[in-house]
Amino acid sequence: MAIKSKSRQKKFDTRIDFTPMVDMNMLLITFFMLCTTMIKSQTLQIALPSNEKVENELKNKVKESEAITIIIDGEIDEKTGLAKPEEGMLYYYDGKPETSNLINGESNMKQAEFGSKQGAYDAIRGILQERNKEVVLKVNDLKKKWKDMGFSNNEEKNDSIFQAERKKVMNDSTLKRPVVIIKATPHASYANVVSVLDEMQINNINRYQIDRINEVDSAMMIMVKKKNLEK
Amino acid sequence: MGKVKIKKKETRIDMTAMSDVTVLLLTFFMLTSTFLQKEPVQVITPPSVSEEKVPVANLLSVLVSPEGKVYLEVLGSQDSTDNKKYGSENVRAHMLQYMAEHYNALHPGANISFTPEELATFSKCNAFGVPITRMKEWLRLPTDQRDKALEAGPGIPIDMNEDPNKPNEFQQWVQAAYNSIDEELRDAVVKGSGISIKADQTTPYSVVNVVMDNLQTIKMNKFTLMTALKTEEE
Repeated sequence: MAIKSKSRQKKFDTRIDFTPMVDMNMLLITFFMLCTTMIKSQTLQIALPSNEKVENELKNKVKESEAITIIIDGEIDEKTGLAKPEEGMLYYYDGKPETSNLINGESNMKQAEFGSKQGAYDAIRGILQERNKEVVLKVNDLKKKWKDMGFSNNEEKNDSIFQAERKKVMNDSTLKRPVVIIKATPHASYANVVSVLDEMQINNINRYQIDRINEVDSAMMIMVKKKNLEK
Repeated sequence: MGKVKIKKKETRIDMTAMSDVTVLLLTFFMLTSTFLQKEPVQVITPPSVSEEKVPVANLLSVLVSPEGKVYLEVLGSQDSTDNKKYGSENVRAHMLQYMAEHYNALHPGANISFTPEELATFSKCNAFGVPITRMKEWLRLPTDQRDKALEAGPGIPIDMNEDPNKPNEFQQWVQAAYNSIDEELRDAVVKGSGISIKADQTTPYSVVNVVMDNLQTIKMNKFTLMTALKTEEE
């Protein structure tokens, strides 16, 4: 008996089996991986004009040839009271509103499409790009240089120089740059407003402002809608 | 001789190395993870091409529900225990005190004050949004019921107010952040990177407009909008 037990003790494995430990660790890793927020939200910076009177007068001095007004309209779901981003509508006009023949449904307001895809109307991206051609061309040149690491071999340095150069071009007053006035009706969805603000970024426009919609704008919009329905 | 050798060969794999690796990974994830903070309303922010990240500190975010309820979240500079001026908790406690004083000043007859215990409770709340008159009541609730009360409650009172001398409650809260004891938060709010509006993409513009107008009235013309990432299509 004594000899037998001795031999058994010799055979006893002293190593611990780590498989369950690994299992548990893997489970915990999965939990933490799923719970962490890897993708952080982004922010979009905007600056509203101050609502003091002096500034308002200055605002009106914007050169008419440079101004483009964009109006965002939308639809509200009656049941939920939420706006429907996919039902958003976009209108725009250059310079001052022309309302001399509004009774007959004629004005300089036109409808447009969101984003870059041409649909029944011209896409807003193309419209803005056309008006900001000089800046866009220059920025595209810079972008090419940036992609080839033309500013610096250091990636971070390359980025920062590119951003600085881009800002310089966007603020270059010798170039023809538009002033965009963004207006939204109460029915417009927040997503549509942000997508228009986004177009400013995409088209390298730095002169834009958010304004309140007025009666002339809404009257013109109604006429455009009416005319489009007749078509 | 050869036969004996084959028999002795171990078939089990040594898991020690594997275990080492997993523990290492686990430690990494535990240390780097920041848990999603619970919010009174779930919102899906609209996509944009902007690549600026949301700051992790020094941020006053205005959470707007689609119905127009407004909640606030305050983050001070990175929490530090050795300094009494900085950190989210100190900032929140100070904001509540500021709020009580200024609310009383503007509303004759109102006499709102908070005990140190209430201030301590408030400083632990990430998101808040109840009228100041009901704040005491809300702080007395147990933690789990507080979240529910936020959801069911009216949010921070806000209306179209164009008189900067008579700010509404929402504007007073923003002013409290503007005058917070944390200099870093104050700087961020002044520069505009410290205020962020977080709203759902289906929210009607009129709702967001109320918040923007309110900020404009108290001369906070610079702020940010929270968005989700979208890649630029060429």
